[in-house]
Formats: sequence, structure tokens, C-alpha cells
Amino acid sequence: MDPSEREKYQAAIHGDREAFEMIIRTHSRTLFAIAYGVLQSREEAEDVAQDSLVKAWKTRWRVRDPEKFPAWLATIARHKAHDVFRKRRTVPLSEQATEPIEPEPANTSALDQKLHSALAALPELHRAALTLRYFEEMDYRTIENSLGLTNGALRGILGRALTSMRKQLRPALTPMD
Amino acid sequence: MATIHDEIDSWLAADLHGELSNNERNALHAHLLDCAGCRKTHQEIKTMNKILEETLAQEKPDPAFEQRMLAGFRKRAPQRAGLVKLLVDLMRLRAVQITAVAAALLGLVQIGRMITGENATSLRKRYAEAEVAAPQPPESRPSQAGALGRSGGIAAGRPQDLAIEAPAPPPATRSKFREESKAAAATVAPDKAEQGETTESEAFAATPESPTNAEEAGKTRGESPAPALANRKLIRNAIVELEILSFDNAVQKITAVANEEHGYIATTDSEKQANGKLRGQVVVKVLPENLDLFLQKIRSLGELKKQTLGTEDVTKAYFDTDARLKNAHVMEQRLIDMLKTKTGKVSDLLQVEKELGRVREEIEKMQGELKYWDSQVQFATVTISLAEKDMEEPAAFLIRERAQLALYAPDVEKTYNEIKSLASPKVQITNAQLNRDYSGRVSAQMSMLIAPEESDGAIGRVKVFGRVENFQTQTQRTAQGGNPAAAGSENARTKRDKVELNIAISREEQEQAFQQTSLRIRTSSVDEKAKELRALTEKQGGRVRSSTFSRDPDGRAVANVSLRVPMKNYLAIMQSLDSLGKVENVSVQRQDRTDAQIDEANAPADVSIQVYSQGNIVTEESGLLATLRRTLAQSAGAIMWSLRMIGVAIAFLAPWAIAIVGVIWVGRRIIRAKR
Repeated sequence: MDPSEREKYQAAIHGDREAFEMIIRTHSRTLFAIAYGVLQSREEAEDVAQDSLVKAWKTRWRVRDPEKFPAWLATIARHKAHDVFRKRRTVPLSEQATEPIEPEPANTSALDQKLHSALAALPELHRAALTLRYFEEMDYRTIENSLGLTNGALRGILGRALTSMRKQLRPALTPMD
Repeated sequence: MATIHDEIDSWLAADLHGELSNNERNALHAHLLDCAGCRKTHQEIKTMNKILEETLAQEKPDPAFEQRMLAGFRKRAPQRAGLVKLLVDLMRLRAVQITAVAAALLGLVQIGRMITGENATSLRKRYAEAEVAAPQPPESRPSQAGALGRSGGIAAGRPQDLAIEAPAPPPATRSKFREESKAAAATVAPDKAEQGETTESEAFAATPESPTNAEEAGKTRGESPAPALANRKLIRNAIVELEILSFDNAVQKITAVANEEHGYIATTDSEKQANGKLRGQVVVKVLPENLDLFLQKIRSLGELKKQTLGTEDVTKAYFDTDARLKNAHVMEQRLIDMLKTKTGKVSDLLQVEKELGRVREEIEKMQGELKYWDSQVQFATVTISLAEKDMEEPAAFLIRERAQLALYAPDVEKTYNEIKSLASPKVQITNAQLNRDYSGRVSAQMSMLIAPEESDGAIGRVKVFGRVENFQTQTQRTAQGGNPAAAGSENARTKRDKVELNIAISREEQEQAFQQTSLRIRTSSVDEKAKELRALTEKQGGRVRSSTFSRDPDGRAVANVSLRVPMKNYLAIMQSLDSLGKVENVSVQRQDRTDAQIDEANAPADVSIQVYSQGNIVTEESGLLATLRRTLAQSAGAIMWSLRMIGVAIAFLAPWAIAIVGVIWVGRRIIRAKR
């Protein structure tokens, strides 16, 4: 890790608000992407990102190694997103039934809908990797850092994710060729 | 390029994402040229990638996202101001956490101590001492008043010390009380207090108030336990121990000093010791304010041995009694009124009369109590213990001799009666008893007191009756009326007391041998030689005490003979033993009883002799077979032993192993659950 980065994380852990705000600027999109990967909803993902940042600030002293700060942030976001996800599942059936239709208004095409359902079918880690890649155009190294993966594992995950999406969307893709 | 073909998905994805190195890209493209299937996949993935890019780009957060995050964060995690922030940051440090925990524990211990009352009194005393030692400037007092009002127990002790310090309270202290009462009021009306406080205390500082104000202040405090200063009832007393040269002189001087300090001598008493020295006590009453000066003057009279100064606060008891007295007066008045109206039955009137008597008695008792307290408070009591120098010098010494005599006599009973007949006015027999124990042995114990001038003769006569085994005398010197180590003891007279003689008489048989010898004699005919030995003993004036004979299966015969001869015949018998056979293993043990006077020639010597013959040489315990048998038995024993040890080890280790496995299992479960 870059020494200046490291220093920044160290300062944030020790309660330097400015350093922490800097981290918010650079990392909140990552957190959002991770949360989106789990929840598939922008509003909820944004809430989760916000909650994660506040929680991270309050419990920052738990991090011993500044190198692990970004991965730790990502873990918080993942856990928070899962919490929200779990709560959502306990919502009564009638509400749940209307939900999938409502957030996708007319402006989204049929392809979009298919894409979203294909995304929803992916494992959570795959989704997170995809969102990080396509939201933030992050390079593999940064994604690895955020999700705590090795290069090989990340390549495999992204490849499998793309393929499984491709297979599900094949009927929709062929006309475009 | 099987690997590329197998993992074509990830290769293609990485290629699209621009994450392949040059070499990898070349390899991939080469494979794509070769493989039609992968080319198709490549196309599809490219489309997929594009769709994803387009679609997900829509879902991307807007540019203001970071700003929203920051704003939300600032709102929900507000920055702490100065001190709070510092504290919170500090609490995060491990060292500070440890310190805080330690401080909390210490605090709990202290609270526990205070609750249980351990050290509580000494704490208060120390507090009070600090107060007296360093009186604070008057300005700082009012600010402390609030704190004082809160800390109840300590505050109660404080005015008392002030009273000692200065009987008439200065204006500043008075304002303090005012302040205190107001602190109580402040809890009722806190909003008013703030503005009122400053103006009032200013008024006090500006105008020196009359003493009535202080009392007023005291009254406004209502149920507060400490009344105004002037009304405190304190009994002061002191105890002084002095060593002086002359008792009468000292009493005169004390009287003079007491007069100087407006006191008086309450009581004196003196006592003459056996050595002519005087010891006594003087009780002086002085005014409390003169007490310290008086003590200083007294000290110069002689050597100060001890001084204690005490103060007893009887305020509460005093005022309680006072109140009860007032009630009793009211009661009395009412009873008198009842008698005056004289209505009702005679028996009722009698009852009233009786009650009146009881009340009056009580009133008198209480009045007496109050008077007593008044007198105690009015004057401080100083108890002076005086002792003349060299008090401990002894008057005389008493020499007491004690003798122990152990006698051996052939006939205990006869000797006992003979000694008994020695009794005369100068030889008193105080204790005589004849014992017979379970085995029929007789012994006697006697004690006698002999006049000092007769003692040597009497003891000499007793000694003749038997053989003296032990004679000891002890002399004890006791000082009369003082400490024997004190100076001047060499001048004291010496007196001889009666001699106490304790005699123990036992039968000769029981006497311990003066010399013990053991030896072995090897001979071929054990039987015969043993008989010879017995005859020899008789000839030398000895006695055979025990004799055994045994023959074992191997044909070995052993005879054990033990005999006792007087010391003077010992050598002769030892020499004659040579004629019996080969003498072996001679060991001689002599008891050195240097402390006792011993008649050596007649002292008994024990000789124990083993006469034996050799039997067959080869026994069952040797030979090849026996050795084999022993070896086998030993190895079996060793194997059993190691088995047992292994069992013990397993039994010891098993619980630990189970516990460790359990802990690891639970830990794994927890970690898995967390994931």
C-alpha cells in the first residue's frame, strides 16, 4: 500500500476527522456498489453506505492494521446490506409481491428487466464484483483489496459471472448480433 | 492451450476489462484464431459487457453522492467539542482504559471501606487535624460551604474543631453558616439562588454582624444535626504520666500551676511502695481554654512518660436530655393541675400521685445529669499519674531452693515408709503417694518442705535409703516489690525460703542400665553354653533378666540371654565369656549422665548375649531355579507397574484433552457462524 494512503488510514483510525472525510470521498462509491450488489436498490444501497460510514467512524479504533482499513469498510457495508436484505424478506407477502414490479417503471426496457433478474440470480460475491467493476470501473487490484480476494479468484468470479449472465440473456442477445 | 480454452470466460472477461498482460493477451488472441467456439463466446461476452456497462452506468450514483454521504456523516456523527473529544479520544487508549479500570476498582474498595466503617473514624480525625493545622483564609470558606453541606458526616465533625480553634466565631465563619443554610434553600429554589447568593454574601462581607445573626442562621438550618457553635458541649480531658524525683514536691508545684491557670486540685492519692518510693495520682480541673498552657507547664516537672488528650462531644446527649427535661416539667405541671382539681376517684388520685413522684424523680435525675455535664464541660479534667524515680528498685530477694531426687530401692514400700517417718516440725511432708501400675510395679512420689537450716541434713538422710540415680537442685531468686533487673538491686536484703524436695522412688528393676553391651558368641553347642552362661552370671552377683532359645529348620540354634550385673563385676564377667566360645560383634554403649550424682560401682550394667551355632550352608533362597523364579516375578511386577502408570497418565490427561477439543470445536462453530 502507498505510504501516504497508509498514513491516511492510520490518522482516520486515530480519530482524525479530515482524514476520515477524505476516505468517505474516495470509498463511499465502493461501499455503495457493494451494497447495491446485495440489495439491487439504489435507495437502500445509499442508506447502507451511509450507515456503514457512521458505524465505521464509531468503531474505527477496532482496526489494528491500517492496511486492512478498506477491506474492513467493505465488510461493514456487506454486513449492513445483509441485515437490510434479511429485514426485507420478512416484509409481508402482499407488499413483496408488488415490489419487483414497482421499482421498474416503464422507462426500463424488457432487456433491463431481464438483466436485473439475471443479476439477482448471481451469488452475492459475484454481484459485488460486477458492480464494483461496472459502477466504478475499478481495476482488479482495487476490487481485490476491497473484497479481500486474490487475483485468480477475482478473474474466475468475474468470468463466471459474465458467462452466467450471458447464458441467461442469450435469447435477448442474439437479436443484437 | 487447454487452459485458456477451459477458462475462456475469465480470460475473456479480463481481456475486456483490460487486465491482461501483453503476453496473456497475445496467447488469448492466438487461441481465438484457432477456436471457433471461443470466438462465439467472445462475441457474446463482448455484447454482455456492453449491455452491462450501459445498464449499470444508469444505476451509478449521481455526482453529488459523495457530498450527500459527507453531509449525512457530519449530521449523524457530530464532531465533539474540545474537552469531550479529548476525553473520548483518551478513553480509546489502552493505557488509559487500564488506568480507569484500576481507579474504578480502587474507588469501589474505598467506598466499601467507608460503608463498613473501617478506618472511617481515623479518616475523620485526620480531616479535622488538617483543618486545625491549616486554617483557610476566610474568603475561601463561603465557597466551600455548599460542599460541606453535602458531605454530612464530615461536616458534623468540622464545627467542633472550629470551636476548639476559636470559641467566639469570627464574622467570616458566620457568613459561612448563612451560606450553608442557603445551600439547602437553593435546592428548593435553584433559579432564585444564583442571583441572591452573591448579593447576600456581599452584604455579610461588608457589615460585621452581631452574634445574634449566627444563632439565627443556626435556627434556619432546621433539622441540621449541628447546632450553633457556642452551644456545643465538649468534655476535654487529658492523662499525663510523669516520673519525678519527689512526690510531695511535685504535688506542691502542680497545685501552684493549677492556681495560676484558674484551676483546682480535685483529688490526690498516693501509695507507698515496698521499697519506700511513692506513687500517686492527682486530678486537676482547669478551664478548657487554659488546658494546653497548663499541660505545657506540667511537663517541665519531670520526665514525661505518656500523655493523651481527648475530647468527647456530648452535645447530642445533652440537648436530648434537656428536651426530655422540659417535657418532664410539662408533665409534672399537668399532674399537679390534676391533683388541684381533685375530681375523680381516690384510687385515680393515688395513681396520679404515684406518677408525679416518678416524674419528679426522673426530673431530678436529668437535672443531675445536666449539672454533671455542665461541670465536666466547664472544666477540663487532667489526670496526672506521678511516680518517683527508680520505682522499680526491689526491696528484698527471696531465695527458693528446689531439689529433685530420684531413688532406686529394692523395696519401694519400705523405703517410702522410712522416709515418711522422717517427718518433724522442720521437715513437712506435703505430698506422698504410692502407685502401683497395671503390671504390678510399685513406685512412689513424695514432696517435702524443709526448713533452710535443716535442709542439708534431711536430704542426706533420705539419700541413704536407696541408690541415688539423680539429684538436682535449682535455686531461684525472686525480687520483692520491684524488678530484679532494676538498678540498686545489689543493696537489697536476701532471705532464704524453705527448701522443696521432690522424691521419686522406683524399684531397682526399672533403672536404666548405666552401660549396655551386646555381643555374639559362636559355638557348636548352644544349649549347653547358655546354661553355663547363666551359672556364670549367678556367680558374679548378677541376674538373668531374660533367656530364649530357638532352633530353625536349617539346624541353626540361637539362644538370647540378657543379664544385669553391678558395674564393679562387669569386667570379670566379660573376661569369663571368652571361655564359652568365639566372641564377636561386641558393642558397648555408655550413658553419660554427668548432671547427676551416680554411685558408679553399684550402677547396673546390661549385657545381652546371643549364643548361636551355624546350620546348613545351602538354603532354598539360592541356586539357579530360585534366581530364575525371582527374575520372572520381578519382571512381571515391572510390567504391571508400567501398565498402571500408563493408566494413571491417561486418566490424568483425558479430561484436558476432552476440554481442549471441546474449546476448539466451539471456537470453530463460532467462527463459522460469524462467516
